[in-house]
Amino acid sequence: MPLINFAAREINYKIVYYGCGLCGKTTNLQYIHRKINPDARGKLVSIATEEERTLYFDFLPLTLGTVKGMQTRFHLYTVPGQSYYNASRKLVLQGVDGVIFVADSQITRLDENVESYLNLWDNLLGQGDDLGKLGFVIQMNKRDLSDVFSVEDLNELLNHTGSPVIESSAVTGQGVFETLKVVCKQVIAKTG
Amino acid sequence: MRRKGLIINDRQLDRCDELLRKLKEVSGSSFLALISTSGQPITSASDEYHPETLSLASLAASSFAATQQLAKILDESEFTLLFHEGSALNLHVSEVTDQVLLIVTFGRETQVGKVRLYTQRAIEVLRQIFEGPESEATPEMDADFESAAGDAMDDLFKDE
Repeated sequence: MPLINFAAREINYKIVYYGCGLCGKTTNLQYIHRKINPDARGKLVSIATEEERTLYFDFLPLTLGTVKGMQTRFHLYTVPGQSYYNASRKLVLQGVDGVIFVADSQITRLDENVESYLNLWDNLLGQGDDLGKLGFVIQMNKRDLSDVFSVEDLNELLNHTGSPVIESSAVTGQGVFETLKVVCKQVIAKTG
Repeated sequence: MRRKGLIINDRQLDRCDELLRKLKEVSGSSFLALISTSGQPITSASDEYHPETLSLASLAASSFAATQQLAKILDESEFTLLFHEGSALNLHVSEVTDQVLLIVTFGRETQVGKVRLYTQRAIEVLRQIFEGPESEATPEMDADFESAAGDAMDDLFKDE
């Protein structure tokens, strides 16, 4: 549901990072904030607990610049991962154009990944949105750790839509920009 | 199905800007902005540039959405207004349509009742702007926008 302001020559897209607690959603945003051209980003806003766990969301606005006369922006959000924050997750998903599902590749996090993936689709279907127009990418994070699932196994478990899959390590930055680029190109292609 | 998006044309924006200017004058408020319910700024009226408009829009929309959910939990049909009273500044957020919110900030010297009265009147006009016939006039995006945006992303989204 992009906001296209033809009068002000602006177009805004909303991208949401989704996934279970501690899967690396905030780390993705922190890496982008650190590494992207400072002129292209706004302030990173985090509503977090004292232990730095996301309580409501993180927010980072990015400006792509003027494209064909339109100031083009991507507003990046994360959701709180813990299961009991579902009311907050639903609110952050309102008006979303593209979702990055961040899967924690560690074998010990299987149940949390599946629960979060099912919860995502429950919430999207509950919003009544046309999901054919939603950008969707799966980021398999923490690939730098040793005790992880194979990409094929995770793909079978968490990708019923056959969406693009990117391997990443948000801590080192591997795959972070690639993931963002894939989903942003999708949302522009789908919502044009 | 939703996902119709929110598209603003020249005529709508001109009328919104004019109305915000008037509302600012008569209500004695210091900063006004129209934002989408998904947290994106549409337009604003201010004495000076507000440097944090993007963060303000995101946080105000999220707070408003949370307030609506509180209403549901409390079995209240709707809370159409969010109001924060500060030591020097007050913040007033109200619903225009299901896709648009109006943010008004004003100082302690301005009466809350005055702001609420004029804001309510302005919302009736704004609602017509966003839901009336003029909202149907939708320009087309440039046909090359997608490929040009792709090139810009290749340039911006990189590690070095």
